[in-house]
Amino acid sequence: MMFGNPLTLLTLGPIVAALVFMFLAWASPPSKREEISQYIRLLIFAFSLFLLSLSTLMFLESYSGISWTSIGLNNYVYDNCVNAEVALEAGGCALVDGFGVSWHVGVDGLSFPMVWLTTLLIPVSMLVEWNAKKGAQFHSLILLMEGALIGVFVSLDLFVFYTFWELTLIPMFFLILLWGGDDRKYAAQKFFIYTFTASVLMLLGILVMYYFTRVPVWEGNITGRAFDVTLMAASSNQLGSSFLGGFGMQKAVFLLLLVGFAAKMPSVPFHTWLPDAHVEAPTAGSMLLAGVMLKMGAYGFIRIAVELLPGALVYFQWLIVILGMVSLVYGALVCLGQTNLKRMVAYSSVSHMGLIFLGIATMQPLGIAGAIFMMLAHGIISPHLFAVCGAFKHHYHTLEIGSMRGIAKHSPWLGGHMMTAWMASLGLPLMAGFVAEIAIMIAFWMTFGWLVILPALTLIITAAYYLWSMQRTIFEGGEEGELPESLHGEDPVDITWHENAGMIVLAGFAVLLGILPFIFFDMMSAYSGEFVSEILLDVLNEVRP
Amino acid sequence: MSMTTLLSDPQTATALLPEFTLIVGIVLMILVPNLGKGTFRIPLPNTNIRIPYLLGGERFTFTSSPRIPGIISVLTLLFSTSLALWSQMETPLSGSNVWCISTAGEAFASCAGMADPTLLQIDGFSRLVEIIFYGSLMLCAVAMWSRMPATPRFMIHAQVLAGRREDERIQKLLDNRRQVDFHLLLLMVALGMSVVALASDVFVLFIGLELASLSSYVLIAFMKENEEAPEAGMKYFILGSVTSAIGLYGISLLYLWNGNLQMTDLAASWQAMDGIDPMALTGVAFLMVTICFKVSAAPFHLATPDAYTGAASPVAGVLATGSKAMGFVVLLRVLVTITMPESGEAFWVPVVGLLAAITMTWGNLGALSSNNPKRMLAYSSVAHAGYLLAAVAALGLNQARAGDHVISELIVAAMLFHLTVLVLFKLGSFLVLSMLESEGRGSKLEDLYGLAKREPLLATALFIFMLALAGVPPLAGFLSKLLLVSGIIDATIHTSMSFDDGILATLQSLHWVVYLGLLVFLNSALSLYYYLRVGWVMFFEDPPTRKRLVYAPFLRITIMLCLIGTLAFGIGPLADHLMGLVSNAAIAFFA
Repeated sequence: MMFGNPLTLLTLGPIVAALVFMFLAWASPPSKREEISQYIRLLIFAFSLFLLSLSTLMFLESYSGISWTSIGLNNYVYDNCVNAEVALEAGGCALVDGFGVSWHVGVDGLSFPMVWLTTLLIPVSMLVEWNAKKGAQFHSLILLMEGALIGVFVSLDLFVFYTFWELTLIPMFFLILLWGGDDRKYAAQKFFIYTFTASVLMLLGILVMYYFTRVPVWEGNITGRAFDVTLMAASSNQLGSSFLGGFGMQKAVFLLLLVGFAAKMPSVPFHTWLPDAHVEAPTAGSMLLAGVMLKMGAYGFIRIAVELLPGALVYFQWLIVILGMVSLVYGALVCLGQTNLKRMVAYSSVSHMGLIFLGIATMQPLGIAGAIFMMLAHGIISPHLFAVCGAFKHHYHTLEIGSMRGIAKHSPWLGGHMMTAWMASLGLPLMAGFVAEIAIMIAFWMTFGWLVILPALTLIITAAYYLWSMQRTIFEGGEEGELPESLHGEDPVDITWHENAGMIVLAGFAVLLGILPFIFFDMMSAYSGEFVSEILLDVLNEVRP
Repeated sequence: MSMTTLLSDPQTATALLPEFTLIVGIVLMILVPNLGKGTFRIPLPNTNIRIPYLLGGERFTFTSSPRIPGIISVLTLLFSTSLALWSQMETPLSGSNVWCISTAGEAFASCAGMADPTLLQIDGFSRLVEIIFYGSLMLCAVAMWSRMPATPRFMIHAQVLAGRREDERIQKLLDNRRQVDFHLLLLMVALGMSVVALASDVFVLFIGLELASLSSYVLIAFMKENEEAPEAGMKYFILGSVTSAIGLYGISLLYLWNGNLQMTDLAASWQAMDGIDPMALTGVAFLMVTICFKVSAAPFHLATPDAYTGAASPVAGVLATGSKAMGFVVLLRVLVTITMPESGEAFWVPVVGLLAAITMTWGNLGALSSNNPKRMLAYSSVAHAGYLLAAVAALGLNQARAGDHVISELIVAAMLFHLTVLVLFKLGSFLVLSMLESEGRGSKLEDLYGLAKREPLLATALFIFMLALAGVPPLAGFLSKLLLVSGIIDATIHTSMSFDDGILATLQSLHWVVYLGLLVFLNSALSLYYYLRVGWVMFFEDPPTRKRLVYAPFLRITIMLCLIGTLAFGIGPLADHLMGLVSNAAIAFFA
């Protein structure tokens, strides 16, 4: 079955709906445009809630019905093309037979949390930016974004993967360009050029893998190759170090993919687009950018580079450690020097993404699971951070750290949210970020020993810049009743109900996942355990007997 | 060749149905607009009986309408395309649908063991390239529907423009003349191109090439309103005839060397010769000059940007698609059919590889620095010629004659796929520019500013054509490049190959032609810059005016059809169908 699959609905549904809504908004008569726009916004929100409930149902169903530990590596839940070799022969899921392009979707412990996270963040970010200008178009773009993002996470065909990967750029580009801040044109261009260049390198890596992997040919396939990940993984498993013709080629491809994904994550030498894009992006755009788009890089890195080229991962272990460590430390140090709240939060994302690289580089089940959990936790916490920043921008018209004093007195809800989000992000125990950090640290210690001091000390820097910025913004100076100049004498107000609702959802999940991490940690550790025991141990034994 | 046999032999007539349709179209084009009340007085004394013979005299209003030539030419090309497509679909596989026309004008169902030398050979390959030729010309004819309603204004006397009834009639007639000239030349190009596609003799090939080229020189210079057009046509004509003369000299050398110009015969002599005869080598080298000019390979491309800029956009589109496809057909015929050694690498691989590398890089650098959208498209067509040349270089690595042709067939199929879908998005983008041109714009990038605010649909179409040209998935342009690089990789890397541990050692152990594939990729990435720039100015700059473009319904429909084709041939079942067609054609080429 090609289209009778919930994942297909989750992917193509929002895209089609977004195009329809955009057309409706465009075609509506100018006199009634405002009114129709309101209805369209409601419809889009309802649709995104429907998708959230669908993914939650899938989660509950899989939670009760599927033992994630028993499905094994290279097997996927809700797979529409099980046993791809046979299914492609039968033509059940092919898009272009001649080239080996197929519509193959499925989720596992790595991708399912990301899918669920995306469906959660879309309605939340819509809530937070409920009153955007040109609401119908704005929310349609966010819906389009949802389809493209889920497409990236569920597609198991690299051609389709790459198409969705590029498709995510389009709505984000327009969100920054049309709804962004003063310097939006520059930021949008920089964002587009950086990520697009990186993804071209990634495409080169994918194409080399496509060209060098021979799969069993079926009728009508004239190139003798396929983009299917499962077929590639089977070939990689079977051939080991002679996959892609030899280890040298594997290393070259790994480097290409590493650059492509590291720029998206982003890791240090390729991170400079991120602060600019974040500062100029509208709040909802920032939330999605930090919440899900950065995770695309980490997801792609694990799914393609790590899973298909484990030998190269072992070879480049130290490179990844260094990249991760530099991102972590450099990001934290730069945060200390920031005066713009949003820019500081953006750099803290760079720092946290460094931890994901460290987790993967440990090559322990716990470390990899911790890295995946970091993706989820950061995906819930960083939108909360950006929502708070957006609320400051919206209600106090400034993001300069020194210019706001004692906000908690005037806006208690905003102050409370800031405190929750900031504490969650610096790794307070019983909140989601802590679970990921502690898992990565333990695994790091098991692999690299006392080197763990470096990341552990960095956590102190993290605590420093978070506490310092929080203290200067919401606490200090409130007694004198000093208000920022940017208010121009207006009365300070608290956040609106819809902003509050969105942020409460995020705060709730940050706490819930901190207390009950196993909801998602189980499937993640099942995935990483399978990966390490089935593949990585063999490679490690081969390389370092 | 005896004309009577050619016409009376039913088999010949069936086999050459699309070409005969073209000839009928040409005859109609000459006759129909001249239908009038012309009479003939019987030369008897004291009588005044006049017999109408319907030619000349006062023309009928209907048949001399300025629209008639366009209708005739579009219908003729449509019929020819459908007939070619039908004969391709009817018996899709090679072998079963091969016809050879001998010098005596007789048709044979097989080319082997014919008594007379063959002139034309009809097989799946030639039919498919004919579809490309006719299709591009047909799109051009449709586009000219609303482009050329009037004689150049400045050439009509001021009194005529004053608008007296009689003068209006004369002007309509002049319009009609001009239309007839244009569409007649267009059909001549079609005829010349189909001769190229069918030729199995180098001399016939050359005649077809010249027929198509000479007609296209006039087409380039046709828009006299534009000052650049005559200059461009003249430049292209002079350079084209010089290269043709060199090529003809090369053909004469080949004739001296072999004694006849039959392709099969030349190929047999080539394989039989010991080493490489200098005379044959010189002949082929000179012939290559003509071909390189036709496909606009650097450094023979210097007239291309000027010609495309000066010509009307639809004509430039034909030059970039149909004419280029013709050049590549000749290239394949000469390099692969004739000069392929029995085993091992062909002698021309380094030359073609070098040409490919220079052409694609030069083309892209030229496009990067040009501010005129037509010039940019001209340079991008140079770059695309480079990509195709890289595939030809890979073709030379293979033992195309030694039994197993799978990889060579893949490469030829990739080239045909690329040339076919190029008609959709390359010509499509020229058609959009043509709409701008009818209001006197389109020669500066500034003219595209804010097009999305004036014509959202057209701007989106142009943007998607640009993406397809750059090769962004999931559009047709990506699949064709993917297949081209696939072919290059297949030709150079064998499954049994294994690489050293080191990255550098691995990269060194690959055959150098692989790096042409990499260069194709890098150049595509580079080209994204200037293609996306078009999208940027269309969507994010302020338009000079809010006025909508000309109405031109047919042109709009054609552009939309091109857009649908660009999307549909990129992903989904249609791409598979086209894949099947081109791979059958490729099989027929090597049969």
